[in-house]
Amino acid sequence: MSVRDELTTYEENTWCPGCGNFGIFTAFKGAIKELENRGVKKSHVLITAGIGCHGKIFDYLNLSGFYSLHGRAVATAQGMKLGNPDLYVVAFVGDGDAMGEGLEHVLFAAKRNADITIIMHNNGVYGLTTGQFTPVSPKGFKGPSTPFGSVEEPLNPIKLVLDAGATFVARGYSAKIKELTNIFVEAILHKGFSFVDVLQPCVSFNDTYELYNKNTFFVDKIATTKEEAIEISNVQDKIPLGIFYKEDKPVHHELLLEGKNLFKESLTKEKRLQKIREFLNI
Amino acid sequence: MDSSKKDIFTILVGGSAGNGVKKIGAVLSSFFSNMGRYAFEMEDYQSLIKGGHNFCVVSTSTEPIFSHYEKKDVIVALDERSYNKHKDEANKNGVVVYNSDLVKEAEQNHIGIPLTTFGRKYPNPELRLGISALSVLFGVLGLSKDELANLIKENFRDVENNISFANEVYDYFVSHFKGERIQLDKGNKRMPVVSGNEAIPLGAYAGGLDMFFAYPMTPASTILHFLAAHTRDFEIGVMHPENEIAVINMAIGAASVGLKTMVASSGGGFALMEEALSLAGMTETPILAVLSSRPGPSTGVPTYTEQGDLYFALNQGHGEFPKIVASPGTHEEAFYLASELLSLAWEFQTVSILLTEKHLSESRKTFEIDLDKASFADYFKHTDGEYLRYKLTDSGVSPLLFPPSQSVIKFSSYEHDEYGLSTEDPEMITKMHDKRFRKYNSIIEKFKNLKTVNIYNSHLGDNAPIIYTYGSTTMSVLEALKFGKIEARVVQPIYLEPFPSWEFKQFSGVKSCVIEQSVMGSFEKLLKEKTGIEVNSHIRKYDGRPFEVESLAKAIKEALS
Ligand SMILES: Cc1ncc(C[n+]2csc(CCOP(=O)(O)OP(=O)(O)O)c2C)c(N)n1
Ligand code: SF4
Ligand SMILES: [Mg+2]
Repeated sequence: MSVRDELTTYEENTWCPGCGNFGIFTAFKGAIKELENRGVKKSHVLITAGIGCHGKIFDYLNLSGFYSLHGRAVATAQGMKLGNPDLYVVAFVGDGDAMGEGLEHVLFAAKRNADITIIMHNNGVYGLTTGQFTPVSPKGFKGPSTPFGSVEEPLNPIKLVLDAGATFVARGYSAKIKELTNIFVEAILHKGFSFVDVLQPCVSFNDTYELYNKNTFFVDKIATTKEEAIEISNVQDKIPLGIFYKEDKPVHHELLLEGKNLFKESLTKEKRLQKIREFLNI
Repeated sequence: MDSSKKDIFTILVGGSAGNGVKKIGAVLSSFFSNMGRYAFEMEDYQSLIKGGHNFCVVSTSTEPIFSHYEKKDVIVALDERSYNKHKDEANKNGVVVYNSDLVKEAEQNHIGIPLTTFGRKYPNPELRLGISALSVLFGVLGLSKDELANLIKENFRDVENNISFANEVYDYFVSHFKGERIQLDKGNKRMPVVSGNEAIPLGAYAGGLDMFFAYPMTPASTILHFLAAHTRDFEIGVMHPENEIAVINMAIGAASVGLKTMVASSGGGFALMEEALSLAGMTETPILAVLSSRPGPSTGVPTYTEQGDLYFALNQGHGEFPKIVASPGTHEEAFYLASELLSLAWEFQTVSILLTEKHLSESRKTFEIDLDKASFADYFKHTDGEYLRYKLTDSGVSPLLFPPSQSVIKFSSYEHDEYGLSTEDPEMITKMHDKRFRKYNSIIEKFKNLKTVNIYNSHLGDNAPIIYTYGSTTMSVLEALKFGKIEARVVQPIYLEPFPSWEFKQFSGVKSCVIEQSVMGSFEKLLKEKTGIEVNSHIRKYDGRPFEVESLAKAIKEALS
């Protein structure tokens, strides 16, 4: 259960008792504290979220930001980063939200190496809408929209974002809070597109605690190529956790805006009219 | 040689895509504006890259001009399709020139010039053909080859070949031209020529635009191209993301941290943005959205014009929230309005929609502008004390504060409390609805001190008949009244939501007519719904083409008789 602290709002917490989202919440607050030790002020960390159980973290975290639409938090996040590049922008997304409704934004943010952090609450279900299968649920998954079992193969989010161009990719587990905290810190500090797939048991519709407690392990190194990253992240008998890939590459907002901060450098009316006069030759 | 004076003069150049017809239109209109004259240029092109049929019509006058004309003084047809399509559009003494290499059968008094043969002497003959229109025009106006060479130097590359080609056409034309020369008076004011899709972004830029997001969709795409080309000198940001949903959500995200942003699209792309326009309404994020209409429904007719999106614009966004919709009647108004709508979006922290049509977006006009009349976006700033993003105020508008800040600033798409946290509390839901509704009333109060309706020809008095119109159709109506010497007032609401009904009380008991480019008469319906006015007749056109001055004048006379 969450404790009242300066990073927690007064909003009543309505996650089901035992939900994996609590672990993510705790780890993220820990990460903010650690970031402050490392010189990142919490006033500079902006959050956004999709719609789903995961999105409620927006209401619980006492940080500035924008509670977005289902599937669109990654687009919102990129707009925020372009709006003021001094900010660190974190998007909390669901697996339905980010792999279904708004997949294109995730892939394109990776493609352009947008300097944002995506934290995907991967519970394998549409929690808030009562447990339907998501794009990452295994074939055969039974939910209210697939009572006879899903007939589709799942997507592999880590492989997808790596292929699309992600420059930081990790997988965490909501019950391994210390490691998850560290992954969040590294992801936020990484300059470029960071994607954290967080295994998050949903006690009401997809209780995976036993499976994850028994069958996860942390990889011991970061891959040097994307191919290797895909390989070491691949789920076989056991599910690998940890930071799989990290690469330094120019980031989108710096390339597009050529280093400008449009918020701080917005021109005065007089300067604008002068430029229009020059353009119109009047 | 004899010559006759003309005030309104019209030239048409037709060919296939790839003949440089668009470029010639631009050169012609700036040529007339350099003479100190007014000009209006309409481009008609198809949704294809090579081939097909393209034409431009440029009309010019020493007085303000708001439309191209149906009857032409000079027609230059670069291919057979253009000739057959346009040869009957000439004035009584109009000069019709055609490419005799391509036109098999032509009328006696039309002048054939072997343009393709002449063009073949140079590389890329197809691209060059359009230049022949300048040679013909200069011949008709009795201007010299030196002047022609100067015009070509100023506007084209490959100058030597182009001049040589132009001269050959000029000589050929002059030796075959038996008609009267036309003399065009010089005017006394040199004005720039701009398209609507330049006027709109220029206005938004004047008003404080920091960043523009768009996904290409005709007829809005040229706003994107224009601003993208000016990213560096205007010191703004421009982004073309993966789709319109990204466009609007990025623009909202950027606005939530303080950037003045704008988006633009046509119907289909705008439809994709709708969920997020409602988001802007709920989160109270200022956004300027441009909707440039093509004939619909669906993909419709991409490069043509219509006013079929009126109710689509008015009803944008699920749920109830205040928004502002306005439509400019001229290029100048497009400039002022874009700056004003950006300012209003920021003043009231909501969505402003600038509704326009292909006809204004892509036609070009001499631009009589007073830049100082542009608005500049400002907003209600948080000063001190506890910050509440959705603080309940009398006006409904809450102060804004942008990160980084010691205070927590929370925007929310869920119904929220003053702090910005989600709520399902019935009292709070009611309070927040009331707050947003107070903004609607604040907007109306603001509108009462703004020019929300244009009334043209009010000097005719209260008994003169009234034509109700809006958007780019206003220009067609104004020119038709001038041409037909028709005594009628024109009432054009600039603002359509909230609708300035209070301005309409004064109009009653006279003959009236609605003119619009819509099959179902959406503007007529809106007028009745908002003001109770029932007009005597209406003129509707929905073939994708803008009204033609002469036929519209005739229709108005009939309607008002
Ligand atoms: C456009 C749109 N479609 C559907 C919904 C309804 N909806 C709310 S949450 C949700 C699914 C959430 O699943 P996921 O993203 O995995 O989040 P979780 O609840 O599992 O954290 C859906 C479909 C919505 N809010 N918006
Ligand atoms: S439904 Fe599942 S994801 Fe949602 S709060 Fe309950 S346990 Fe958590
Ligand atoms: Mg989920």
